[in-house]
Amino acid sequence: MSTAQSLHQSRKRKNAVMMALCVIAAGIGLAWLALILGALLYKGLSGVSLAVFTQMTPPPGDAGGLLNAIYGSIVMTIIGIVVGTPIGVLAGTYMAEYGRFSRLTTIVRFINDILLSAPSIIVGLFVYELLVRPMGHFSAIAGAIALSILVIPVVVRTTEDMLNLVPNALREAGTAIGAPRWVVIRSVAYRAALSGIVTGILLAIARISGETAPLLFTALNNQFWSSNLNAPMASLPVTIFQFALSPYEEWQQLAWTGALIITLTVLGLSIIARSLTGRREDR
Amino acid sequence: MKPMLSTDLNVADTTVEKAKIEVKNLNFYYGQSKALKDINLSLPERSVTAFIGPSGCGKSTLLRVLNRIYELYPKQSAEGQVLLDGKNILDRSQDLNLLRTKIGMVFQKPTPFPMSIYENIAFGVRLYEKISKAEMDSRVESALKRAALWNEVKDKLNASGQSLSGGQQQRLCIARTVAVKPEVILLDEPASALDPLSTAKIEELIDELQADYTIVIVTHNMQQAARVSRQTAFMYLGELVEFDRTEKIFTSPREKRTQDYITGRFG
Repeated sequence: MSTAQSLHQSRKRKNAVMMALCVIAAGIGLAWLALILGALLYKGLSGVSLAVFTQMTPPPGDAGGLLNAIYGSIVMTIIGIVVGTPIGVLAGTYMAEYGRFSRLTTIVRFINDILLSAPSIIVGLFVYELLVRPMGHFSAIAGAIALSILVIPVVVRTTEDMLNLVPNALREAGTAIGAPRWVVIRSVAYRAALSGIVTGILLAIARISGETAPLLFTALNNQFWSSNLNAPMASLPVTIFQFALSPYEEWQQLAWTGALIITLTVLGLSIIARSLTGRREDR
Repeated sequence: MKPMLSTDLNVADTTVEKAKIEVKNLNFYYGQSKALKDINLSLPERSVTAFIGPSGCGKSTLLRVLNRIYELYPKQSAEGQVLLDGKNILDRSQDLNLLRTKIGMVFQKPTPFPMSIYENIAFGVRLYEKISKAEMDSRVESALKRAALWNEVKDKLNASGQSLSGGQQQRLCIARTVAVKPEVILLDEPASALDPLSTAKIEELIDELQADYTIVIVTHNMQQAARVSRQTAFMYLGELVEFDRTEKIFTSPREKRTQDYITGRFG
């Protein structure tokens, strides 16, 4: 066997080994995901019924549903997004457009990245000190504010990234036709980056709809129906936390079902986000 | 054309083109580095002027001074005077947006806005004029006709501007520029990203547009400069080496550097 051939053979062997390792690693990653989804579907689906969506969380040992928790999650997520998105989009716009070359942008980006990976329980504690203690009680609004603080860094990051992907040539073209800066941003840059920015917002919804820690210290939980924003409010993640740890079988079943609902919602949002991004790449 | 012998009484002298833009002692800096060195030239009204020269010679920089688009970026600055109809546009008091409606620009890469063909043109018009839907329709139509694009797009005005071919996109950009009724059109290598057929169409268009507009074109392609322009400026290393009628530059340039460049000895 010549040297060239033996080199070729050894390269082929190394390639086979590396490829096998990669496939195994990918397989392990996917296997966990499949196991989690499988367990959720198996344990959760059996509990899905109309009652889940129409009845309140039951006292121990009774039958019931998750209506107040689902409602609470939706309300607090919506407020969190409504408060957090404009701040995030505007900050991202500053960083990518007006302050592209400024030092402030570098600093804000650095701090934002820290916030992005900050443990959410710290955000919960922060809002506890900021709102819950002065107010003297837990409340849905404190929960929503905690969620909005989690929304901001996600939206800032995606908005900035997506606006930075808009070619400068397009901004120059808008400017060259006599459009003021803000018109170029609104009508050209936003439009070109729209699907990416929306994707960021969807990802933020997906992120906060499963958050438990920041709600534990803020919105707490509520066994009953409550639409008062100034009072404790139930949410799916906290209810799951409480019910899953309980010794009651009905509660445990509801926890599985709740987990399935959250997972499917997040999955749905991610699929929408992916398809929006995909559409942009096609173009 | 200038008469060979001119006397005070020579009528032809009065028909010599009036200067639309006069550049006086212009220096330009990217941070500390000087990119344009003491440029002086005057661009006659309603005619095509070409800037040629090797990469990095400053021809695009000079073009970008004329509508002050360089101001989008920090650390770029111009010194000297650029007179548009006698008024210095480098003056601090110059309103930049108004300046850019008077001096339009088309870029190397076609840059249709992310909107429909119709909106691409209406967008610029709407910035400074309030006109009815019917007037806007006719404005869009005439701009597209002017850019020789109307027949290709008249049935799909609501299609995305980005769905057009490269050559069509570039003509859309020209239509968009023409629609706001500028006085000067700056073209920054408008055909270098296009195929020969599209290039020919763009050149034909430039030829027609010079009846109404003062046109400045930056090009890498010397044949293109020779085909479309009446005056040519040859630039090298940030200096204006020679500026003259195009035939003169290409047949009997004064400077040796010009001669070397146009005969392909460097560049």
